Amino acid sequence: MSDTLCEINIRDIDLKDKRYKISFSDDDITFLAHTIKKAGLTILPVVRPVNNKFIIISGFTTIRALIHNNETKVIVCETKKGITDYQCLLKSILSLSIQRPLTHYELIICTRRLNQFIDKEQIAKKSGAIFNTELNARFVEDLLTIGALPESALKLINDSYLSIKSARRLTGFDKETIQSFLSFFSIIRASNNKQLEIILYVMEICARDDIKPTDFFNTKSLKDILYDKDKDSVLKTKEIRTWLYEKRFPTIFQTQQATLKKITSLKFGNQIKFIPPQNFESQQYTISFMAKSFKEFNKKAKMLTDESNTSMLKEIFNQ
Amino acid sequence: MKIETVFIDEALPKTYEIDYLISKVKSDPQKIKSIKTVYDFINECDDPISKAKQTLYITENKGAVIRECPGTSFYTCCDYTILHTGTFCNMDCSYCILQAYFHPPVLQYFAGLNTIAQSLKKIFNQQKLFRIGTGEYTDSLIWEKISLLPKFLVETFAKQNNCVLELKTKTINIESLLPIDHNGKTILSWSLNTPGIINSQERGTASLRARLDAAKRAEEKGFRLAFHFDPLIIYPGCENQYKKVIKLIFQHVRKESIVWISIGSFRFMPKLKQIIENRFKNSTICYGEFILGLDNKMRYFKPLRIKLYKEIISCIKEYAPDLFVYFCMEDEEVWKKCMGFFPNEEGELGHLLDRSAAKLCGLNPNLL
Repeated sequence: MSDTLCEINIRDIDLKDKRYKISFSDDDITFLAHTIKKAGLTILPVVRPVNNKFIIISGFTTIRALIHNNETKVIVCETKKGITDYQCLLKSILSLSIQRPLTHYELIICTRRLNQFIDKEQIAKKSGAIFNTELNARFVEDLLTIGALPESALKLINDSYLSIKSARRLTGFDKETIQSFLSFFSIIRASNNKQLEIILYVMEICARDDIKPTDFFNTKSLKDILYDKDKDSVLKTKEIRTWLYEKRFPTIFQTQQATLKKITSLKFGNQIKFIPPQNFESQQYTISFMAKSFKEFNKKAKMLTDESNTSMLKEIFNQ
Repeated sequence: MKIETVFIDEALPKTYEIDYLISKVKSDPQKIKSIKTVYDFINECDDPISKAKQTLYITENKGAVIRECPGTSFYTCCDYTILHTGTFCNMDCSYCILQAYFHPPVLQYFAGLNTIAQSLKKIFNQQKLFRIGTGEYTDSLIWEKISLLPKFLVETFAKQNNCVLELKTKTINIESLLPIDHNGKTILSWSLNTPGIINSQERGTASLRARLDAAKRAEEKGFRLAFHFDPLIIYPGCENQYKKVIKLIFQHVRKESIVWISIGSFRFMPKLKQIIENRFKNSTICYGEFILGLDNKMRYFKPLRIKLYKEIISCIKEYAPDLFVYFCMEDEEVWKKCMGFFPNEEGELGHLLDRSAAKLCGLNPNLL
């Protein structure tokens, strides 16, 4: 027996029951409400009768928009009476996945719920029909592992403060460390690669210096950057990355800074590029300039000659 | 690690060498047609590397028995010659490149003393000096307790005068070698590190004291010696620790017995890092200040390498000013800043090592 179309009172819907809610965006529904008012419903909500009430399987936003429009009734697809929780869950996921690809956050929520009924291999096997895209078993396992992180982690993923790869890295740490990173990432704003770099450096510094990550995050100089009210999250991220790099590679950092200072003191300005060897491993410095005319060439060649008579250039080469 | 499973290539003829080996490992070997059986056996484990250390495969060397050391470009190589007698090791050092070098690693013993003898004969007949070692793909002396090979090699090298054999080890397995008339043509060499590094990173190896005691016993039997500080690991206070090791060397053996000391700092293929993190949870050796070297291996930042090298070299020179010290895989800048010279010409480092070997091991000086 298939779902039946019927008109129900919105007040008969238990709006507090969100067991099938997948998407948690709090987008402004004014436009949707306006569209519904003008064009009517194009996709009907699906509801399930439970204890003389209805619970929403799909169409949470639509119902919100209808309430916004002061509607009292709505046409819905009512599921058959004998439907199982698993079938309802599938309906809730599919109703969204056929409209658009699910976000990582939604995938995490969905796989976590599906895992109550089927294992990761089955989820992967059925993924095409459920998510409208193929997911391999390893990715499903990653989603399930991430799904076991605290809710605050999932919120950070949903708000794009924490990448899924970074979240996966965090799953290998103890609870306290995870919590420290989550608090940290809620303050800064970094891309996936930068997040991974931050996690890597913090954990390596802590391992090297034999300190707990929770103590590391309490370092005063780190907190000074993190809680500086005059800096936005992007600037904080930049400063924290520099600070972490210095902590992780103190000698390399000092050498780079000292060389940069010396190079800046050369009177080349923007005319001549002077690049030290990468990582200071080879001995080859790169010196380059562009010239449009012989006159310009001579001018820049003279700049080089003048500088080669000073001690600074020698110092750079002999360091 | 104790060998728990033994596989043997079913095509191998039954020889005294193999019977001896099997009697020593005390495990009935499973005859197999292909090494794939060993690969499958090892790979089905969660930690294939550990499994491989407990699994011996007796086979024959299907490739070149003698080959040149695969030095990399950009860094100066010592032009060593490798006698390929086996692969991998049953000791367990965190930094061991063999963990990442073989896919998967297999503890292989290449049977066939006759094959080795024939290959060596060709080398012995050349009018050229050779430094030959078995310690590139395995520890030379892990085999001493279970095979006739080390004894055979020492005896074979004793009968010629243009090649020197270097047996490089972290064990103290020299018992069967001591009574041999080696004719000075075997160098017993030990890879050394600080007690802290040995305890934390070199599972199943002999202690520093034990290695030096073994060196002393070898010296008493007239063996020439060599020491290898490779890999040097940089950690707080390491300079003083390495100096203490150097002091101990010269407390145990005479400087005149040492043919050379090599120095090299920890370097690794990037993929080794994950292996170390997975297999040695408490190891922090990958968290030093590494950069990607010109050979695509991670190396300590050059100024840090130079700083430690200088300390170590000056310490060695205090005890033995004339002792030949060389770098394993370092570049011109490091050589010049630490040694004051650079073996610029191709083969020059090899020549310097040959000179030292000729002088201390009685090789034919006319071949220099």
